[in-house]
Amino acid sequence: MKTILQIEDNYANTRLVERVLEHQGYRLLHAADGRTGIDIALQEHPDLILLDMGLPDMDGQTLVAVLRGAAGLVHTPIVALTAWPEATAAQMAVNYGCDGCITKPINVTEFAEQIAAYLR
Amino acid sequence: MILLPASEFTLDELTLAYNQSRTDYLIPMPMNPDRLNEYITLYDVDLHRSRVAVTGESIVGLGMLGRRQDQGWVTRLGVLPEGRRQGIGRALLGELLHQAANSGMPEVWLEVIKGNQPALELFRSYDFQPTRELIIARRPPRAVANAAALLAARKIYYLQHGEVIDLHCARHERMNWLNAVDSMRNVRRLAAASVGSDPHDGVPLHQLPHLSGLLVEFHDGSRGWVTYLATTLELKRISVEVTYGPPDVVAACLLELLHRHHAAQDAVVENIPDDVRWRGFQRAGYFEVFRRIEMVRPAENVTYTNEFSP
Repeated sequence: MKTILQIEDNYANTRLVERVLEHQGYRLLHAADGRTGIDIALQEHPDLILLDMGLPDMDGQTLVAVLRGAAGLVHTPIVALTAWPEATAAQMAVNYGCDGCITKPINVTEFAEQIAAYLR
Repeated sequence: MILLPASEFTLDELTLAYNQSRTDYLIPMPMNPDRLNEYITLYDVDLHRSRVAVTGESIVGLGMLGRRQDQGWVTRLGVLPEGRRQGIGRALLGELLHQAANSGMPEVWLEVIKGNQPALELFRSYDFQPTRELIIARRPPRAVANAAALLAARKIYYLQHGEVIDLHCARHERMNWLNAVDSMRNVRRLAAASVGSDPHDGVPLHQLPHLSGLLVEFHDGSRGWVTYLATTLELKRISVEVTYGPPDVVAACLLELLHRHHAAQDAVVENIPDDVRWRGFQRAGYFEVFRRIEMVRPAENVTYTNEFSP
């Protein structure tokens, strides 16, 4: 079973993503802030990290930089989940070494397939 | 709806209200109570003169007022989704301006994210005038492969916090509120803000948050400095000044030297003007994230020459 770590501070967004992805058979881990996200990522080595770029305790970009620099996570796909304008989000993802970005609100019918593509 | 002083609310309540007011914002930037406390400390936000809009028992909006001498600064103004289209933002802004005027702040500044047209129109309706565009930019951590800046440097002086403040005091340029010398001085108060005590009370000076800097003289006679706050993960409060030489080239060299010293840290610059130095930032690997429009509601008989129409 593939494990996905979702780092997201908004409860409603978290639940929506969990519902969609658990239905597809993924194991979901959750962190509501960046520090907790780093701890869980380093302990659990998830197969994919879904990261909200606007976190309450640190900038999402800084968090990506930390995760990208961690030895066990170099090849883990990191996907930015953001409400930022699409062009800004895409530029951010490229510059910080994310594997991609998905803009919020997520499209429920396409989301599972988008995630599956990053895990192939 | 009533407007109450923000000082009557806890940091947790203010943080929650602020985050809820920004859930569908153009660029959502949530905070936790520590970050909001840091913001209040750095930017001299006066919670007694800041206001929270309350309907029944619910917070429906908030707006904060910073104070420095006779200048005010409106910030964190936002209305929660359930309170929209009821004139709450207008009421909050009007009350903040009333507080500013009654407290000896005839001149009030603010920034609005470029593209937030409803907010821009609200501010214009209160006689705020745009003064300039400001850039928020970032640079991901990575090694500086180019040794040109290092080779071009003739002498590098490593600056302590007090020397950094002296350089900022000597600046002739009008800095935005976030980068003004008061914000730089307040860096020292951050440790105190987190423990609620005097900054020098029991905390060794070298353990307090502090600004650092590099003052560089180059072989061709160019000269300039870069100052910054280094944390474990980030470089923040970055300021660049070119005192002699081509501003873009010297700025790029200064930043490359900075990042040679701090290759592992993510870097963010906020509210820098879109002038020739910005090209130096870009050459050093920075990219623009978004822009803000700085606005002022001037005291009577004061005009600003760097007018700009978004």
